[in-house]
Amino acid sequence: MNKEELINRLKPIVSNYTQEKEALENISEDTDFIKDLKINSANLVDVILDVEEEFDIIIDNESMEKMLTVGASIEVIEDKIDKK
Amino acid sequence: MIGNDLVDLQQALKDSNWQRKGYLDKIYTPLEKKTILQCGNSTQMVWTLWSMKEAVYKIHSRKTGLRNFAPTSLVCTHINLHGDTNSGIVCIDTIDYYTITKIRDSYIHTLAATSPLAVSTIREVIYEYPLPLLDYKSTNPKCVSHHGRYLALIY
Repeated sequence: MNKEELINRLKPIVSNYTQEKEALENISEDTDFIKDLKINSANLVDVILDVEEEFDIIIDNESMEKMLTVGASIEVIEDKIDKK
Repeated sequence: MIGNDLVDLQQALKDSNWQRKGYLDKIYTPLEKKTILQCGNSTQMVWTLWSMKEAVYKIHSRKTGLRNFAPTSLVCTHINLHGDTNSGIVCIDTIDYYTITKIRDSYIHTLAATSPLAVSTIREVIYEYPLPLLDYKSTNPKCVSHHGRYLALIY
């Protein structure tokens, strides 16, 4: 899966937790979940749990720590898929 | 340094389902989870501990200049609930922060500071939306938290 495909699978997940339509439309690796998409930090946990389900991976706390941007999340997802 | 975090309970009920499988484990340590599940009002305890972590994260991240999402690394201890007020310590990277949480029917508001004295002298102002005409930034609050229907400022 390339980065673009990963972003396309991530987008519907984050769309459930953001009202920022423009930032969502322009989603890229640089998109910050909290600063750009204004996702409530309590909902970041839901994003992580949804990602685990969507990609059938387990995200440990150490990896979760970094997942504040789309780019960082994609790196974590790629790493976990590789290790499956 | 001081920090605060307000949880609008109605908004939290709408936005989050803490009973979702795996949810508590991502945010809370095993001991915190036990405290939540053994508490008579688990929902209230979920958001009390959450607001403690958030209020302290705001101070700690300002201090270190680092952002991350590691709620289990902020460890709530010495939880002491008396009526509608909870006090507790949140420890991160071996640093202790002191907190006082006010629990109301419609919101939970935590104040945090680096010493027990500093937390006891924080002044808080809470506004409900729609806000009165005010330029709150000009009042130089030390920290701001908004959630749902509320805006909480501390000085």
